[in-house]
Amino acid sequence: MKNDQMTEDRELDLWREQWSGVARPSPEFRRQVQKRIEVQDRHFWLGNLLALAAFVGMLALAFYQLSHQATRLEKGRATGVCVLLFVAITCRLWIMRGTWRAETQSVRAFMELWHRRVLARIRGLQIAIYLAIGWLVFCAALAAANWATIRLELMAHPAALFAMMVVIGLMLRVIWFGATWFRRRKVAELNEVTRLLEEIESMNG
Amino acid sequence: MSTQSTDSFASGATLVREGRPAMEQRFERILDEHGAAISRLAYSYEAIASVREELVQEIALAIWKALPHFRGECSERTFVFRIAHNRGLTHVGRRRPHQQSLDDLEEADEPLDPRPHPDEQMAQINQRERLASAVQSLPVAHKQMIVLMLEGLSHAEIGEVLGITENNVAVRLTRARKALKEAMGVTQ
Repeated sequence: MKNDQMTEDRELDLWREQWSGVARPSPEFRRQVQKRIEVQDRHFWLGNLLALAAFVGMLALAFYQLSHQATRLEKGRATGVCVLLFVAITCRLWIMRGTWRAETQSVRAFMELWHRRVLARIRGLQIAIYLAIGWLVFCAALAAANWATIRLELMAHPAALFAMMVVIGLMLRVIWFGATWFRRRKVAELNEVTRLLEEIESMNG
Repeated sequence: MSTQSTDSFASGATLVREGRPAMEQRFERILDEHGAAISRLAYSYEAIASVREELVQEIALAIWKALPHFRGECSERTFVFRIAHNRGLTHVGRRRPHQQSLDDLEEADEPLDPRPHPDEQMAQINQRERLASAVQSLPVAHKQMIVLMLEGLSHAEIGEVLGITENNVAVRLTRARKALKEAMGVTQ
């Protein structure tokens, strides 16, 4: 028994010695990490600023349209934007419950957190699709209710309206393909995380 | 050792007080002390050199991001290895089915130490490559155990990193060593 242990320890020492020479950081490592930190800092500030600007801008536009003497169509659109923003943010916060941080600080807890996060993203995408459909229905209802105003606009600028319809059609197509691609990627990631979790569980058993 | 590291590493509150320069200094020190270990860990998750380089940078970036939240509840080494393994797993999980080009394969198979060497050194390098390939070929759970063991972490530290008890570490370590020996036999 003792001999076995000694052999094993010698074996472990040898492995450790061999392992210590397996890989080392490249000479460029520090510089590249520094560069990535700078890029990440820039993205962080820029992303936050853009999100804040978009949020404040949309709210300001909505409140402006509600406060001044706006038409029924403008008021309807502004109310719709406010409601959409509120619902979208509420849904996001609700979906992300339990995915902010791991229960404990271990690799296993991280894996479980990762699994929950991927599931939340897939669920979030589903809800985003429902919200988009809801928004389209709302826009159609608003247009139908204000058809008299829209018809006048239509007759005054038919080319502009046609161009707008084409742009909206293209945007919907791009969003649809983007959502499909994102979903496929997240489902693949979910399968992989589940496989890794199962693998770790089976090793424990 | 772990207590020493914990003591030497200030709490998150201190870190916030000290500000970014202090954090940069700590980060530099962590890279000095653990840079080689991070590279080796990345090696266990990725065979292709250029992709591995990316992974090493991602691990370093993740450590940088996590540094302000580190409260010193565990040793610095445990903290680094936990993040490194998390990033390694994320890498495995998000890896797209890679169409290995001939260049990639050549890159993966290149000798670990390209310097000219005599026969004895050559034999050592062969053994090292055999060990490294065997570690790469292990299932994730065994790989994690083996890498942490090879890096010299105690059972308690391994348990802390992986979120399992010390008893469980001992059992899994025995299985992982057996699997490693088998893998080395297969790749021989």
